[in-house]
Amino acid sequence: MADVKVKKETNLSEPAEVENRIKELCQQFPHGITDQVIQNDMPHLEPQQRAMAINKLLSLGQLDLLRNSSGLLYRMKDIQSTSKMKGSDNQEKLVYQIIEDAGNKGIWSRDIRFKSNLPLTEINKILKSLESKKLIKAVKSVAASKKKVYMLYNLQPDRSVTGGAWYSDQDFESEFVEVLNQQCFKFLQSKAEAARDSKQSPMVQRNSSFATSHEVWKYICELGISKVDLSMDDIETILNTLIYDGKVEMTVIAAKEGTVGSVDGQMKLYRGVNPVIQPTGLVRTPCGLCPVFDDCHDGGEISPSNCIYMTEWLDF
Amino acid sequence: MTAQEVRLCGLLLREHFGEVVEKVGRHLIRSGAQNLRTLLHETGISIDLVKKSLCVLVQHGVCVFSSGRKGPGSPTEYRTSCDRILRILRYPRYIYTAKTLYGDTGELIIEELLQRGDMTMSSTVKTVADRLTQNMEEGRSMDYSEVSSAFSKLVETHFLQRCPPMAAAATKNGAASATPATPATPGTPSFPDCYRVPHVTLIGKGKRRLSNEDGEDQRSAKRAKIDSETHGDEGIYWQVNFERFHLHFRDQAIISAVANKLDQTSSEIVRTMLRMSEVTTSPTATCTKPLSANEIFRSLPSSYNIARPILDQYLTLLVDDPMEFVGKAGESGGGMYVVNLHRALANLARATLESVVQERFGSRSARIFRLLLRKRHLEQKQVEDFAMIPAKEAKDMLYTLLSQNLVQLQEIPKTPDYAPSRTFYLYTVNQLPTARMLLQNCYKTVANLIERRLFESKESKRLLEKSQRIEAILASLQASGAEPEQLTEVEEMITAPEKQQLESLRLHINKLDSAENQVDETIFLLESYINSTVTS
Repeated sequence: MADVKVKKETNLSEPAEVENRIKELCQQFPHGITDQVIQNDMPHLEPQQRAMAINKLLSLGQLDLLRNSSGLLYRMKDIQSTSKMKGSDNQEKLVYQIIEDAGNKGIWSRDIRFKSNLPLTEINKILKSLESKKLIKAVKSVAASKKKVYMLYNLQPDRSVTGGAWYSDQDFESEFVEVLNQQCFKFLQSKAEAARDSKQSPMVQRNSSFATSHEVWKYICELGISKVDLSMDDIETILNTLIYDGKVEMTVIAAKEGTVGSVDGQMKLYRGVNPVIQPTGLVRTPCGLCPVFDDCHDGGEISPSNCIYMTEWLDF
Repeated sequence: MTAQEVRLCGLLLREHFGEVVEKVGRHLIRSGAQNLRTLLHETGISIDLVKKSLCVLVQHGVCVFSSGRKGPGSPTEYRTSCDRILRILRYPRYIYTAKTLYGDTGELIIEELLQRGDMTMSSTVKTVADRLTQNMEEGRSMDYSEVSSAFSKLVETHFLQRCPPMAAAATKNGAASATPATPATPGTPSFPDCYRVPHVTLIGKGKRRLSNEDGEDQRSAKRAKIDSETHGDEGIYWQVNFERFHLHFRDQAIISAVANKLDQTSSEIVRTMLRMSEVTTSPTATCTKPLSANEIFRSLPSSYNIARPILDQYLTLLVDDPMEFVGKAGESGGGMYVVNLHRALANLARATLESVVQERFGSRSARIFRLLLRKRHLEQKQVEDFAMIPAKEAKDMLYTLLSQNLVQLQEIPKTPDYAPSRTFYLYTVNQLPTARMLLQNCYKTVANLIERRLFESKESKRLLEKSQRIEAILASLQASGAEPEQLTEVEEMITAPEKQQLESLRLHINKLDSAENQVDETIFLLESYINSTVTS
């Protein structure tokens, strides 16, 4: 009993003790404590003293101030991150916090300015010092090549910023995409031909000419033409381009959960197809492909009688 | 009647009927229905020539006449439509189809009817028999009955039909005729007896033309031979049923598309289905009447002995195909199947559009075009992402397509003032307007090809005349039994470079001709698609 009393008295009297008590409470509740909790614990503490203690802890960087729907929350900060910020001042800490909040999408310098209400010159200075301390890094966005977003040093940039597997150093790798395109198409085409030559009943033939996206993915991985690891989604985007080329068609079937390659109980099947018609009659004449078609009329500078394309074509 | 169509019609009329008819025809196309006096006044041609041209046009079914606007008492009006004149471009295809279906006899029957416009059965049979006999060996001749049977077969399958009856030929200066006018549009008459073959007494064989008539050109046969015999079918004139030929072409296009996409057996099944519904389906139907799998199995040609379950599998595969050529309409009788005609036409038109974009702009632009067809509306960024084309190139290609009007831009504003930074710009492709635009391009292309052909022949007119003269001299020398030295002397009058020039001219003209036919195939597909969307 006497011990308790003593403790209580010491809590009431010294601000350092108040701070320690608050820190213990924070450690007890790692998700954060509200004002209410502190008040319950130390009912005799005046609001002013409480506020002073909390402010001191915040300025020391040992407490995190958060807001949730019911009010303010105080949370213990890591020792590690506390040590990082030693030597930085409040403004830098503020900027750092904003960048941390942006997660792996990064944040633009103008947005940092809006959130922190600091002038531009200050922001630039802070960003430079943070970069030199290797706490943040700048990543060029693929959407707008002049824009730089900032994020924490050890975070992987999100796909939307770097563009994912198809971009290397902000350049779209069109040859890589082309090569993948060709390989997928050859795989599907050979599968379709094998099915056609097998001379079984037509239903079996068609089913065996299908390939799931998982099979195609495995085939491409085994081919080893890609330096970057490709996910199944990447392969599906490639296969979609083949559909838009009119060389491949896709169906979706229901598959049991847990079968290899199924996503949400469905599987996508791809199959190589032949074109429906031969190149149409209009494009076999020079007029069908003529770049000055609209300017051509009889009696004009460009007319059927003196058309050079026709002359070449006729002598072909 | 767009400008391109009018130009093409003018060229076709000029080639087939001459300049006067061209002038009259062009005028009628441009101005709609007109009576004789206005026609005279506006074209400024003498009344004889105008009357004759109108006769020619009416004979060929190009022009129809009806009583005037103000009622039965007013002068008759003449009207023509572009469609009918554009069919002239397709005559070679009709003749070729008749040849493949009914042999030489059928080919000649159709050719004669196309040349003359309309004829009675007896005169057709006689003329065709004569022509066939001409090409046979000495001593053999073509029997009339064979030709008649071929004619009847053509009528049974509706390739030939009777001309709509007119009780009294309306006189040109407007005397009122008692009977009302036939339907003004030269469309399909659906009167009874349309396809009834009259009872004709035709006994005999084709006559071989005597050798001194050898030099006569085929066209001079247009002058009607005065025939003193009657055969019991006077006044019944027959014409070619173009619509039926078009249905046949459409079926052929669908069958070859199925053969390309799937395999031969599936295309045979679709051919059987189409053949079974030839006469039961109306020309404007969206799909054929449902056929049960049992019927299809029974009607398959005996060379394809596939088992019943296999047939069912093929039908299921046809139904599952994304192109949707065949649809399932019910379960009775082992499954009722229909051929989706309109959808097949739409798919074929779509493939045509895609092929034009591919050949003209490259396969990546074709990828963008197909992407937009599938996904309807897309923003520029989305286009780049889906098509996996670098942003700069994708932008360039989209703008090229936009400038050629193959792709349209749809603006969706976020704010009431259409501020560019706050508006969505979506790219889209509309299949029907694009098809119409391409159709006009096709017409212009054919007109260009015809003009070039005429230009080439005009350039070498002198050379052609010279070669013709030399041929005539050669022929006459040969007929009168000259010595070989004289012949070679005459032949040498044409120098070697001239011969080469003639040869290359011949090649050029053939090439241009075949190109016209190829473009006509595209015209047919696009026209059928556009017509199918109008009626549905």
